[in-house]
Amino acid sequence: MTTSRPNPFRSSFGNGRSDLTRRQLLLRAGALGAAGVSLPAILAACGSDSDSASSDTSPGTTTGGTTAGTTSAGGGSLFFENWPAYIDPTEDGATGTIDRFMAATGVDMRYTEAYNDNNEYFATIQPVLGRGDTIEPDIIAPTGWMAGRLIDLGWVDPLPLDQVPNAANLRADLRGAAWDPNGEFSLPWQTGFAGLAYNIDETGREITSLDDLFDPEFAGRVGALTEMRDTIGVILLSMGVDISQLTSFDEAAPAFEMLERAKSDGQIRRFHGNDYFDDLSNGNLAITIGWSGDVASIARDNPSVRFAFPETGATSWADTMVIPKGSPNAAAAAQFMNFVYDPVEAAQITAWVGYVSPVDGVREELAKIDAVLAQDPLLFPDDATLGLTRAFAQLPEDVEAEYDAAFSEIIGA
Amino acid sequence: MTAVARLGRLRERPELIGLGALLLAGALLAAVGTRVLTGPFAIIALASVLASVVALVLVAVSGTPEARRKIAPYGLLKPGMLWLALFYLAPLFTLLRLSLSTLPSRFAIEADFDWNFGNYVDAFTDFGPQFQRAFLYAGIATVLTIAIGYPLAYVIAFRGGRYRTLLLGLVVIPFFTSFLIRTIAWRSLLSDNGIIIGAVDWFRLGGLLETMQIMDDGRLINTPAAVIFGLTYNFLPFMILPIYVSLEKVDVSLVDAAKDLYSTSTAAFTKIVLPLSLPGIFAGTLLTFIPAAGDFVNAAYLGNPNTTMIGNSIQDQFLVQNNVPLASAMSFVLMAIITVFVVIYSRFFGTEELA
Repeated sequence: MTTSRPNPFRSSFGNGRSDLTRRQLLLRAGALGAAGVSLPAILAACGSDSDSASSDTSPGTTTGGTTAGTTSAGGGSLFFENWPAYIDPTEDGATGTIDRFMAATGVDMRYTEAYNDNNEYFATIQPVLGRGDTIEPDIIAPTGWMAGRLIDLGWVDPLPLDQVPNAANLRADLRGAAWDPNGEFSLPWQTGFAGLAYNIDETGREITSLDDLFDPEFAGRVGALTEMRDTIGVILLSMGVDISQLTSFDEAAPAFEMLERAKSDGQIRRFHGNDYFDDLSNGNLAITIGWSGDVASIARDNPSVRFAFPETGATSWADTMVIPKGSPNAAAAAQFMNFVYDPVEAAQITAWVGYVSPVDGVREELAKIDAVLAQDPLLFPDDATLGLTRAFAQLPEDVEAEYDAAFSEIIGA
Repeated sequence: MTAVARLGRLRERPELIGLGALLLAGALLAAVGTRVLTGPFAIIALASVLASVVALVLVAVSGTPEARRKIAPYGLLKPGMLWLALFYLAPLFTLLRLSLSTLPSRFAIEADFDWNFGNYVDAFTDFGPQFQRAFLYAGIATVLTIAIGYPLAYVIAFRGGRYRTLLLGLVVIPFFTSFLIRTIAWRSLLSDNGIIIGAVDWFRLGGLLETMQIMDDGRLINTPAAVIFGLTYNFLPFMILPIYVSLEKVDVSLVDAAKDLYSTSTAAFTKIVLPLSLPGIFAGTLLTFIPAAGDFVNAAYLGNPNTTMIGNSIQDQFLVQNNVPLASAMSFVLMAIITVFVVIYSRFFGTEELA
């Protein structure tokens, strides 16, 4: 089983105007759950709501775009395939990023939320890009390690960075990322951390250390992510291994052994993708490895659910924007990237999605929209916290296969 | 001259032309489907298939009554044959070929066919526990669906009266909701603080359920029992409906006749009703056991890392490990084992109509 990172519940995070209805949330959870087990047919059956959600964000009215366009010389078209609930939609009187972009540039933009899972999406594009054909989207949103895989395979085009002056606003700590050392092929879309998520009613105490994950007191009520790099990453960090420097399987073997023991002992109840909110809220899980943005949004409904950066370190990740090889609309893609790397626009996205923005200067802009959010330590961690985070190294193909196989064996697949 | 003579003889045996055209069309379509024939050859093959269909229609429209009568069975078989060739034989052959191939690199799109039986060795040696669990859980679930479904179908068929259709509808209605949504819903119902655990505590049944190994350390969710329960729940209608259909056809007067001859109710049931309903049980078992053995949704949502089934492993090999040859070999092994089970089962329990 594989994971889908963005959190459907995240949509309710931020200022009140962006609340989804409970029904929509449940439907989206179902749709994402389907992605987790890769049942496209059933996904289609219960995922129709995300279609309507995406049409909210992109009414696709060419006329609206061009008439309001200020620089609409020719316009052009653009197709961005992103994770669900990962951009501010046009709703309740607020104009979403897509519509603001279309109005500003005259580009006719199509936006879908079909990127549900890195591995599953890769399986769908592999036969097409592998044969040298082009896929429909002009921008897709692979997580860093997957972006690295696509770059290594030569399945993405270099970004026309000369047309993206705002790329200079990229956060300093995201430059020279392991998956794209020269930053030629990818720009981060949103970023975040994996650390400890827990329900303080169930643990009875503050959680600060990864040792708590293996505390027999919580036997059978512990979870972990099916995202290998996050689960193995935080365990390795607790062992003092620098995960950004991994080159072989042997360096990580102790973490796999520790996880295997915890699984055989029944310490770990389940491995999950982003479907752990209910388990954490209702006490099936007392403590698990989770994603920072998710926990912030669950906490709004249930203050007992908390997130902790383990004192030994948390993993940091980024979902990126890349242009699949052969896209005819690279220029429009560059316009879009430039648009969302403007801190004013990026702050609108941050206010709605609740993840950490890769753009410098967002905090100041966000303070004008939502002063409380601008003080959120999960959105704007201080330097000490950031110093605790590490990104997983980009693994060579054969080493990655070893990691994946060992991890799958542990999670029982 | 001989060719003309041969053609003349064939004209007297139109059924041979029908059979030949049927087999040839099937083989050609399967060859195109497996990409044995490509490019211009594929176009020629498809044109031949089309021509054979056109010829069939021509015979049907303008042939002699005798020719039409003889060729009719082959004509009627043709749509099914072509369908099976393209959507069953061709994929099956492709899968078999893939399962004996090796990927030159992890993300290569074409596997090299090299009689790599190592994939089958890996499938057997690395995934033994998952295969065992798949058949164990599916087997228990099938028995449970019979135990639950038979009495239900019996009551609906014999005591339902004019409410039969309504009752049958009530059985099916919950299943209009997506399979996945229903399975996920059980996560909440079975959760540690859920209503079912609440009821168990209220009636102080925890100890009993623990002894029966249904509960594990006070939990229902993420246990083997939960996976089996989910399979049972999800496949129950596939057992009820065929049993109902076979029971509905049983003539009640047979039971009355048995009782007139001083049979007990029990004997009347075991000697008359039960044997007559065996085809329903047989069909229901196949409809339940086969998909249940390959299921991965219940294990993924209701199980724990120690209860995964072979479906989860195949899914993982296809989509996460990108090891398509191994995944194909595992699929083939699964199919082979199920086939053996079904053959044995139908030898012992199959009825004449079905075996």
